Order: sequence, then C-alpha cells, then structure tokens
Amino acid sequence: MTDQRQKNISQKNRRMVTALVLLVGGMGGLAYASVPLYQLFCQITGYGGTPKIAADTPDVKPTVAASSEKEHLIKVRFDANTSKKLPWEFKVKQTEVTVKLGEENLAFYEVTNLSDKPITGRATYNVTPYKAGPYFSKIACFCFDEQTVQPGETVTMPVQYSVDPEMLEDANMQEVKTITLSYTFFRVKDPENGEKESEKISRLKTGEATTEKIKG
Amino acid sequence: MAYADHDDHHPTGLKRWLFSTNHKDIGTLYIVLAMVSAIIGGLMSWYIRLELAQPGLQFIEDTQFYNVLVTAHGFLMVFFVVMPAMIGGFGNWFVPLMIGAPDMAFPRMNNISFWLLAAGLVLMVVATQVDGGPGTGWTVYPPLSSADYQPGMAVDFGILALHLAGASSILGAINLIVTIFNMRAPGMTIHRMPLFVWSILITSFLLLLALPVLAGALTMLLTDRNFGTAFFQPEMGGDPVLWQHLFWFFGHPEVYIIILPAFGVISQVVSTFSGKPVFGYLGMAYAMSAIGVVGFFVWAHHMYTVGLSVDTRAYFTAATLVIAVPTGIKIFSWLATMWGGSIRFEVPMMYAIAFIFLFVVGGVTGVTLANSSADLPLHDTYYVVAHFHYVMGLAAILGMFAGFYYWVGKMTGRQYPNGLAKAQFWFFVVGVNVLFFPQHFLGLAGMPRRIPDYPDAYAGWNMVSSVGALITAIGTVLFFVVLWKTFKSGEKVADNPWGEGATTLEWTVPSPAPFHTHEELPDVSEKAPAE
Repeated sequence: MTDQRQKNISQKNRRMVTALVLLVGGMGGLAYASVPLYQLFCQITGYGGTPKIAADTPDVKPTVAASSEKEHLIKVRFDANTSKKLPWEFKVKQTEVTVKLGEENLAFYEVTNLSDKPITGRATYNVTPYKAGPYFSKIACFCFDEQTVQPGETVTMPVQYSVDPEMLEDANMQEVKTITLSYTFFRVKDPENGEKESEKISRLKTGEATTEKIKG
Repeated sequence: MAYADHDDHHPTGLKRWLFSTNHKDIGTLYIVLAMVSAIIGGLMSWYIRLELAQPGLQFIEDTQFYNVLVTAHGFLMVFFVVMPAMIGGFGNWFVPLMIGAPDMAFPRMNNISFWLLAAGLVLMVVATQVDGGPGTGWTVYPPLSSADYQPGMAVDFGILALHLAGASSILGAINLIVTIFNMRAPGMTIHRMPLFVWSILITSFLLLLALPVLAGALTMLLTDRNFGTAFFQPEMGGDPVLWQHLFWFFGHPEVYIIILPAFGVISQVVSTFSGKPVFGYLGMAYAMSAIGVVGFFVWAHHMYTVGLSVDTRAYFTAATLVIAVPTGIKIFSWLATMWGGSIRFEVPMMYAIAFIFLFVVGGVTGVTLANSSADLPLHDTYYVVAHFHYVMGLAAILGMFAGFYYWVGKMTGRQYPNGLAKAQFWFFVVGVNVLFFPQHFLGLAGMPRRIPDYPDAYAGWNMVSSVGALITAIGTVLFFVVLWKTFKSGEKVADNPWGEGATTLEWTVPSPAPFHTHEELPDVSEKAPAE
C-alpha cells in the first residue's frame, strides 16, 4: 500500500469518525431533550389523561351551548390516593357530581396529617378515560403547588375545573358519560436528600409557568 | 496506519491476547467471551425451567433470586452472547476478509471495545452477587428499578455494566462502519458487498442511533437512584412511562441489532449450499435497510397497556405490521435462492433451514402481537415469551451455529466432525421447539411471565417445556464436544472447503486464515458480484 493512499484513507477515516461521534452525541442529547419535549407533548395533547391547565373557563361556542343545554351534563367522579410513604389521610369530600359542560365548578378534597411532624406532599393527577384529558381543564388546583400540612391538621383543598363542550364534537368521546379525576399524593423528599436539585426538572414548574391557556 | 506498521509482527502468549490489535484475534476473543456468557446465561435458564417444571416452589424459595435469574439471563444473552458473537466475533473476523481489507480501520480501538465488554461482563456478574442482585427484568422498568424497591447497589452495578457494554458496542460499531466505507478492496463497491457485510453495516448504524438513547435513560435512572433527580418519579414531577418510551426506543432497534447479522449469515450459507447467488441481492440489502429504518418508529408496540390512546395504538399497530413486508421479502428470497438450486445438506445449511422455520414461527406470532387489541390480553404472558425466544433468541442462536459451522474451518483450519455435528443439530433444534412451542399454549391460557409459581392447570405444558430444556441442554453439551473434537482431531481443510457456491473473498485466503491477510489488496473489479 502506498503512503499516499494510506494518508488519504486515514484522513477519510478521521472525518468519518467525527461525524459518527457527533451522531452518537446527538442521539444521547435527544434522550435528555425527550424529557421536556415529552412534558410539552402531554400538556398540549392531553396525552395519557393529562388535564389542561387553563387560566380561565374555555370559550364556549354559543351554538353548541345553546342548542341543547339540558343534555349536556356530564358526571365527574373524584378519586384520592395516597403513597404508602405519606402518613396522610387524603379523601374526597364528594365522590361524584353532575355538571354542565363549559361551566366552572369547584370540588373539595380533605387532607389530614396523621404524623407528629409537618410534612410536605405533592399530588399527581390525571383523568380517565385518558381521551378525556384534552377536554378537562383545571383552572386552579392544590396540585399545582407543594402542600405542607402541620401535625394533626386537617386542610380542605379545592380544585376548580371545567369540562369543555367541544368534547361533544369528538367522535371518540360519544360514549363518555363519566370522567374520573384522580389524584395521588406523594411525599416530597426532604431537602437534604437533594430535593432542591430535583425541583428544577419537575413537571410542576412547567405547570406553574403556564399561566396562560395552552389550548388555542 | 497501524496495520501497515507490523508486517511481520506476531506477538505470542498472553500479550497476543491482552494487547491484540488483530481483527482475527479480537474476533476470537469475542467468540470465547460469548461462549462463556452463554454457559452462564444458559445455566440460569435451565435453573429457571427446573423450578417451573412443576407448580409450587421446589428449588427457588427466594423469589427475588428468581427475578435476578430472569434479569441476568436476559442481560447476558442479549448483551454478552448474541451481540459479541455476531457483531464482535463474526463481524471482526469476516468483515475485513470479505471486503478485502487487511484489518479494521482502528485496530487499537478494536482492542478497547473488547476489553470494555469484558469489564462489563465482570460488573454484570458482580451485580448478581451484591445486595441480593437486580430483580428488575432486562427492561429495568421504574418504579421497580427505583431505589425504593431495589435498594442496594445491585441495580447500579447492572446499570454500569450496561454502560460499559454500550460504550464497547458504540466503539465497535464506529470501527465497523469506517472499515466498511473506507477500506473496501478495489472493485468491491457497496452494491457488490456480501450480504453479511451489509447486515453488519446496518446493524452498526442501528447501534449508533439506539445505544446513546439507552445510555441517556440509564444515566437518568442512575441519578434518580443516587443523586436526587426525578426523571421517573411521579411524586417529584417525573413519569415512569418516559422510561418505557426511552427504553423501547432503544429496545426495538436492539432486537433487529440481534437478528440482522443472523440474516447476513443465513444469506451467505443458503447461497453457498444452494450453489447459487442469493436471489434478489439488492432487494435483500434494502429489505434489511428498511427493517432498520422502520424499526425506529414502532417502539410503543411494547407498551400497548400503558394507556395509549386509540389513535396512537392504531398507528403503532399499522407501522409494526409494515415490518412484515421487508421481512417477508427476505424469507421469500431465501426460499427462491434454494428453489432449483443443487442443495447440499451440510450442517450449516441444516441450521439455516431451521433458522428460516423458527423465524417464520416467531414472525407469525409477532404479527398477532402487533395488533394492540390482541396484545392487551397477551401482554406479559408466556405467549410473548415464546414469541421473542423464537424470533430473536433461537433464531439468533441458530444463526450463530450456522455461522460457526460455516466458518469454523476458516477460523481453525480444521473441519468439525460431521456425524456428531448433525446429532448436535437435531438435539438442539428438537429441544428448543419442545421447549418453547408449548409456551404459546401457556400464554394463550393466561400464564404470566416472570413468576416462579403457577396454578396446577398449567402443569402439563410446563413439564413438556422443561423436558425440552433438558433436550436442549444435551444439544448444548454436544456442541462443546464438537468444538473439542474439532480442535483435537478435526480434519485439515482446504482454502475453500465448500467448493463452488462459496464465492466470497474469505475463501480465497488459506485455512486457517493467517495472522495477516489481504496485505496485497485483492482486485475484484473483474469478478462477478460477490453475492
């Protein structure tokens, strides 16, 4: 093999390796980028039953609302779960209500701290069926923030929500007469365990920042 | 370049293996490592079948230990048996030989690739020995793999083992891609490369695109477990389903990484022993490329039960079914290659035909499982276990045996004992079918995977399955007897023991292939395409 040919090959090799290493780096970066992208995707599309976060009641199309007000009722059920590691009693104040589409409603949950220490918790949430996610808007919710409850204290926690009448126009939503809103309260880890670090990436931050309506 | 520097340099003893930069020696190291891991992973699976032979817990009282067996069996077979044997072993040995290159593009990087994998294997074995071992399954789903449910260091060791294996594979893949693109002999154009080289090229690209995603996900899991991040912890705003998306974005291409090199081997073998070039060479090459590309867009068919919307499931069902098209092209092209050929039923050919049979069985159940509505009741049952063992486990192992019997003469200079090898074939192929076919019935009847005990109703087929495992074990022991006999008393073989059908360049060099080959680049411009 001549020296010239060798030199050409090693030059070509080096260029190619650089490109391939960049490819590897790019894919690795994409794995991390998927975290915010996935969150954004869920919030915009209501994927996996992620309810909308709305600053206000969604605009009700007058035609839909006016045409058949009586029929446009939907049953909303409430569900409360607690992580095993959280010594709280977390329960609903009402198991179900029937509400009008497009109307702002208020529901209440109740938390009692059964331990002898103040504890901070945070609730995750979704709605079932998942496909109802895009039509279920939360205007205000205790789940948007961490909640600290003093020892033995009982706190009532409200959630303000509405169900978008546009669901009537979704062919896949026709058989849905009941939507279940579910919360699970988890213990927020103590700061010395690196809680502050983790806050940076929490979905909640994104939720809080989203004060304006996401849905167009 | 390093390969030109040591024309006559031929280190011996321990140094030859530890510091090797020779593609054949490194290939041999990979094959030996794969055999060692296969023995460990195989022993684990036989222990699992022993426990499952009867209902109740007879041998494994500690169910975490059962989980560890299942987990380690999966990790070992995927990362430390099939990938090293196919890509590191046969890829290293035969890619340079087949394209007429004197060695790999980066011989020293080749060395570090191997030793990273060896270190990964050590870490994996360590993982099973500390703090009760990782009981997460090879999919490592959180929250099961989180610090809450798997405290202790076992899962961390497992993660680091996979990191090393991944880094090893990425470096190896870069090396193979650069070699294949830049070091082909004059006249060896891309469209004249043997299909085995094509399969390794596509596999290498899949590795480069898929493994960094696994590495990212594993790092997130590692920091979740140890450094207070919460990528997969819902209580702090994370989402465990994100892991499944990332894992399967890697995991689905990974199953093609495992099976594509076997496709390549089978193409060479079928063509050689039919005495014909492969039917539809370009179609075969681009069918593999299509499988590789589409493989990145179907990952969520592993997650139909996580609550995907109807439309999403419809998409993933349709996209998954599309893969049956290029796969069908390959099956039909193999059959068309055999059609009208003068077929010789040598052991590699027998393995190739068994491969096609098993792969079709696994493919058919795959088409069933691709339908999300059919998958919902079958998810996490033995039907899925039977499916993937047929389609990637057994098919890959049969591809490895086909490649071994096909090339062992070239690698060692000695031919395998034919009668014993045929006995080995029948024991192994009958064994694995008796082992896995009944698992379809168990799955359809609802038997869940990864649980060491089961209701009495499942006892019959489980016993049959375990008997199959015993037959397979005999076939496996016979393989090592064949290996020993080959070295001990195998006949010396000619440069091209297979005669007319074997047209690729590795059959033009002496057997065993000398330490340095193709130092004078062969010119294949005048020859008919090498397929």
